[in-house]
Amino acid sequence: MASVSELYDVGWEEMRDKLRKWREDNCRNSEQIVDVGEELISEHGSKLGDDIWIIYEQVMIAALDCSRDDLALTCLQELRKQFPDSHRVKRLSGMRLEALERYDEANKHYDAILQDDPTNTAARKRKISILKAQGKSAEAIRELNEYLEQFVGDQEAWHELSELYINEHDYGKAAFCLEELMMTNPHNHLYCEQYAEVKYTQGGLENLELSRKYFAQALRLNNRNMRALFGLYMLAGRGTKENKCSVKAVEEMLESMQITMS
Amino acid sequence: MFLLYMNLLEGVASAVYSRKKAYCKMLLHAAKYPHCAVNGLLVAEKVKEKKKDSHSAPILCVDCVPLFHGTLALAPMLEVALTLIDTWCKENRYVIAGYYQANERTKDFRPNQVAEKVAARISENFSEAAIVMVDNSRLTMSCFEPIVLIYDHHENKWKSRDVNTDCFEDWLEAQKITSALLEGRSYENLIDFDNHLDDLRNDWTNPVINKSVLDLC
Repeated sequence: MASVSELYDVGWEEMRDKLRKWREDNCRNSEQIVDVGEELISEHGSKLGDDIWIIYEQVMIAALDCSRDDLALTCLQELRKQFPDSHRVKRLSGMRLEALERYDEANKHYDAILQDDPTNTAARKRKISILKAQGKSAEAIRELNEYLEQFVGDQEAWHELSELYINEHDYGKAAFCLEELMMTNPHNHLYCEQYAEVKYTQGGLENLELSRKYFAQALRLNNRNMRALFGLYMLAGRGTKENKCSVKAVEEMLESMQITMS
Repeated sequence: MFLLYMNLLEGVASAVYSRKKAYCKMLLHAAKYPHCAVNGLLVAEKVKEKKKDSHSAPILCVDCVPLFHGTLALAPMLEVALTLIDTWCKENRYVIAGYYQANERTKDFRPNQVAEKVAARISENFSEAAIVMVDNSRLTMSCFEPIVLIYDHHENKWKSRDVNTDCFEDWLEAQKITSALLEGRSYENLIDFDNHLDDLRNDWTNPVINKSVLDLC
């Protein structure tokens, strides 16, 4: 199989930069990361300098996602050698055990970290992930709620909680989580739009009215948000006569969107 | 692709290639998003005449439309999808005949509330709608055996039925093609409705994958 650098005609610097971009954007394109990262490490490891450690971490997590335990172990061993007492590396060990479904051992790793450092948020979140992986949604929700009482500003956690609630069909509580996110991120069109979807799913006159408002708000923040536009379209035809006029307006917007996107 | 009833096929004269699409695309969808739940709709050709004993005639699912990945339990985009796909079906003389879902967790293959709700909605237009659940734990590159569970609605409950290679029009071909597409990472090109909402240019009828299936036949 041709190497990444041959297939895409890129040098090692571009590969390194691409990995950095994926790190910054928090992309979960694990197969690509493994392809690029594995080649970068094996062929150009010496040129990377100190960057290599964060790349080892990134590739290791991606390798776990792709069931490449061989690669994950290699990366982990390099990191252990370099940072023998690190909590960050210990968390990676725990993640590897999670991938192998050895949850009890993984929990022991995280408990050891927390004993040393009770404020270690990463370990706490991994423990909640284990509950989620085991299908213990109610416990995961409870633990996450407790976590958020202490770490109220953790947006990733609020979003995770909203998803857990949605999967349990507890739309009221999911909406509350999204409200927290909207308060701290008033310009984020995605939160507005997701909030509108939750309200729509909840149903009832008041919620549909709120839904319409938030779809409109999401569209105002980003006029290319198709979900918001479609949502508005679905709601535009309902209710009073004034609203029915807006159906035409939304249809026209939809048409112009289709034209500009193609 | 599936015979929703395990009866003998009687002279269903349609090109065989169109059937494998459904099974392939379903598995490609699950493979594209291994860390998410995915779902989609199965469509069958619309039968014009309803004979008196038509409830025993086999229904062949000819295609599938991948819908969402990640959060499946929200209503508005699902309704948009059902409306748009329904229109597409009418233009192509298809009917929405089933719903598939692959859950987020590997060992979880039971239909949940979302599956039952969507299937109930489909049943309003197509009484023999089925739920097809993908058994993630058996998803491999080689696909030696069918890895789906099919649930039918009986007496207000969804009950699973036995699935074996007889449920597929041409299992060996389907297995070969699906395996080839998985190895070739064709799932990177699979478009679901979520991808379409992200960029309207993305075509959820998946002409590219359809062509790949054709080419492999």
